[in-house]
Amino acid sequence: MTNILDDYALMSPLRHRNNWLKLAIVLFGLLAGISSTSPVTPLFIAFCMGFTTVALGRAPLKLYLKLLLAPLGFAVTGVLIIALFSGSGQELLSFKLMGYSVLLRKDGLELALLVLSRSLSGMCCLYFLVLTTPMIELFAVLKATRLPESFIELSMLIYRYIFVFLGMAISIRYAQTVRLGYSSFSRSLRSLGMLGSTLFIRSWEQGDKLFLAMNSRCYDGKMTLFEVHRPVRVPELLLTSAYFLLTLALLYLTKNASIV
Amino acid sequence: MHIMEGFLDTPWWQLWFAVSIPAILYGIYKMNKLVKEKREILPLLAVAGAFIFVLSSLKLPSINGSCSHPTGTGIAAIIFGPAISAVLGTIVLLYQALFLAHGGLTTLGANVFSMGIIGPLVAYLIYKAGMKANLNFYAVVFLATAFGDWATYLITSAELALAYPAGDVLTLGGFLSSFEKFALIFAVTQAPLAIIEGAVSALLFKYVVNVKSDILVEMKVIEASVVRKLRGIPA
Repeated sequence: MTNILDDYALMSPLRHRNNWLKLAIVLFGLLAGISSTSPVTPLFIAFCMGFTTVALGRAPLKLYLKLLLAPLGFAVTGVLIIALFSGSGQELLSFKLMGYSVLLRKDGLELALLVLSRSLSGMCCLYFLVLTTPMIELFAVLKATRLPESFIELSMLIYRYIFVFLGMAISIRYAQTVRLGYSSFSRSLRSLGMLGSTLFIRSWEQGDKLFLAMNSRCYDGKMTLFEVHRPVRVPELLLTSAYFLLTLALLYLTKNASIV
Repeated sequence: MHIMEGFLDTPWWQLWFAVSIPAILYGIYKMNKLVKEKREILPLLAVAGAFIFVLSSLKLPSINGSCSHPTGTGIAAIIFGPAISAVLGTIVLLYQALFLAHGGLTTLGANVFSMGIIGPLVAYLIYKAGMKANLNFYAVVFLATAFGDWATYLITSAELALAYPAGDVLTLGGFLSSFEKFALIFAVTQAPLAIIEGAVSALLFKYVVNVKSDILVEMKVIEASVVRKLRGIPA
């Protein structure tokens, strides 16, 4: 929980590139990945995004691999269910498990692999955005869209206070741990309840102070942001368009391909 | 329980966005009205959102070794009501996708529907019904949070089953058979998780009532007479 990805984004050299370009790359990758019908295109996207994040964005490789493994639990469970219970085609494998007869079918396996590759490409796109673009830059982008003002304002304030409370939660947790607050199951429940309530009360007081501080500085529901103007450079544009074209070509070529 | 990025196929992720967006807009409308009435509410909402995020990033003690996090939206629903919880839940889910890689951007609509809309709604309804029936406040909090979590998990299973029905074509039988499997397997982690989160939430409210109950009275979560009864002070 100490691992907030934003810290890495602040150090990334890609931080100083055009935000809209990065956003376009990510959205394109997400949409192309989700609409592909074979695992080839998502894997290509995953590779490109991963390479860009690690090689150009200077994200630590070890951290990157650890991040990719993090949501694996959900992915594997979901994919296994899809593989074992969907499909209606040719059977590849069948066995009995706790009274249930389990069938692995050809199209079920294919679908499962497709879903797995799509999640992988989606994760890589997200990590590209997260590890190269600090949230502060994204707020400027959000302001330019036509989302409700109060929604963006609320997001910015929440963003600020996440760090305040996270620090608070971590130090409380340390204090509880060294006093053996998490040594047994019932104790951990109690400690967690205390931690939550202290956090709640403190955040409430903080909210009152925040209102006072902002009010005395003439807050009228709008915070103005300074957006740095960063023109898109030619090499970036060329690389991006090459990537887009290649992905689209691959998407078209592997339309009916099957790998099982 | 978050649905991962890329897990939902083309008609489904758009569909869940289409379902969720009106609810979020309604929440924003309610929020704007509230902020206009009481200007000091916006910073409070902000810290509440941050509180939910931090709460949901804490690891719960687990029975079966799985890594589980509370949703935290049940508490928000009890304090702010379901409409505003939907807005807070959306922002929190967005940050979870971006900072912790829980959930994703295309699946945000589906996750908002299950965790930001239905879960809080169920928790809120149970809370209101329980308080009306004059049950013990902590028991009601426990039930509201636990059932809110279970509702979230059932909706998530349904979302997955709709996208991946058994037998490839969406029929009622295929949906039900697939739903049963998703629900059964995720129940291993989700059923105890909801009970633990309910217990932690009840404890949380217990400490808040003991230390700073005026917050809850001020937000009209519970009445002053209930607080007096809970703390054993004669009226």
